[in-house]
Amino acid sequence: MNDSVRPLLDIRGVTKRYGATVAVERVSFALEPGEIVGFVGPNGAGKSTLLKLVSTFLVPDEGSIELAGHDVVKEPLAARASLGYLAEHNALYDGMRVLRYLEFVGRARGLARAQLAERLAWTIGACALEAVTKKRVQECSKGYRQRIGLAAALIHDPPVIALDEPTHGLDPLQMAAFRDFLRSLAPGRAILFSSHIVGEVCDTCERVVAIHKGKLVADEPVSALSKRATAAGRTLDQELVRLLEPAPTPAPKETAR
Amino acid sequence: MTAQPLGLLAGARVIASREFAAWFDSGVATASTIAALLLANSIFMNEFFLAGRIDMGPFFSRLPVLLVLFLPAQSMRLWAEERRTRTFEVLVTLPLATGSLVLGKFLAALALYGLFLVGTAPIVVMLCVLGAPDLGLLASGYLAALLLGGLLLALGSLLSALSSDQVVAFVLAALVSAALVLSGDERLVAVLDGLFSGANVGTWIHDVFSAIPHYEELVGGIASAPALAYFVGLTALSLWLTTTLVRRLRT
Repeated sequence: MNDSVRPLLDIRGVTKRYGATVAVERVSFALEPGEIVGFVGPNGAGKSTLLKLVSTFLVPDEGSIELAGHDVVKEPLAARASLGYLAEHNALYDGMRVLRYLEFVGRARGLARAQLAERLAWTIGACALEAVTKKRVQECSKGYRQRIGLAAALIHDPPVIALDEPTHGLDPLQMAAFRDFLRSLAPGRAILFSSHIVGEVCDTCERVVAIHKGKLVADEPVSALSKRATAAGRTLDQELVRLLEPAPTPAPKETAR
Repeated sequence: MTAQPLGLLAGARVIASREFAAWFDSGVATASTIAALLLANSIFMNEFFLAGRIDMGPFFSRLPVLLVLFLPAQSMRLWAEERRTRTFEVLVTLPLATGSLVLGKFLAALALYGLFLVGTAPIVVMLCVLGAPDLGLLASGYLAALLLGGLLLALGSLLSALSSDQVVAFVLAALVSAALVLSGDERLVAVLDGLFSGANVGTWIHDVFSAIPHYEELVGGIASAPALAYFVGLTALSLWLTTTLVRRLRT
């Protein structure tokens, strides 16, 4: 990482507990402008919890998170204004028409009328929503719903984008288009997206951050991962899975009776 | 381009306009408002034709009981629905103060209730055509109705934030609303006083807790400071508690 560039997303020693369960433990990493980082881990590893912390939906018990220089606890409104967030379940207001929903999100994000019109035109085009703008959200297919959520996350042109399982519900063609779209967004922005499809992450990102049982287990460029995998005679998928697998516990010694 | 976060009132306006439109997406609001209007107007017409009274006294005196059922049906969805459908996460991660969210939802509910009150305008028109009603008294009655409705909606919003189940939110709000309204009923006061002879529990609850004495003062044309302070104070307290609760739900 280049020390002279200030990270757009800076996660430092973050811990989150749910009662006695530690969901995320002392996780630290940062994203600079222009980076697309894949955030991987098995189900229940703490990916969504960390993204909820980034989104300000949850508050960290320890550590700090800064979005474009704004601390999520001390300046939550400014931090939220800097973030485009697609939540895990991509909940939407089903009864609203797509255009109305995007207008609502844009207005809530403080976009003035002219800005809103301009951003609406851009997001609707970029997310290919032209066919459904007049439909109610509940009438849209899963793929469209995902794109509506993405459009809502991008409507205010945020410098930081956090996407939780953004390709869920997309068909292979849509996934490929999504990858290109994400790459086109990258200049000047920091993009963190979670997935448990390893191949998808490696195809899209230059860097992978892996989490397992709430702890960071890897943070390295895809190229380094790829080199190591080749040297070990493994595929990229196998190499990443190896990182996420817990070290085998030694079998207990049999005691003499 | 990152725009500046909106202020408290501007944020509340955005939320209120979305909420107000959302009432009519489901059709439930339209149906319940029409039902409440029919009931409210029929209460008046009954007195008007059978007892020959040319004033809105019977309407205002029976309105609180109607509101005990009508307003919880409105307020139950305010937060419970957001939590059930998980849009709560979308809402609280927008760059809006929690106070804007709470105020916006409250104002939308109050606006819908305002529509219901506007729907009773034919009664006023009829009274004006048939006689010369005391317009000051009418205005005072509507102010009382608005303040009582506002209080019940603010309480309903608070109780809706306690549960992700709308039915639970409705039952809780209806119970609390009924307690505030029925504790002003003289028969109930007498029963409670009789049950705990000497302690005058019924009278104490009536004087301290009930909304009805304050409501009746306003309906009678007496805009007393204690009555206004009761409604405004309790409404503000409920909204503040809702804000605190919603903030806690996040963390």
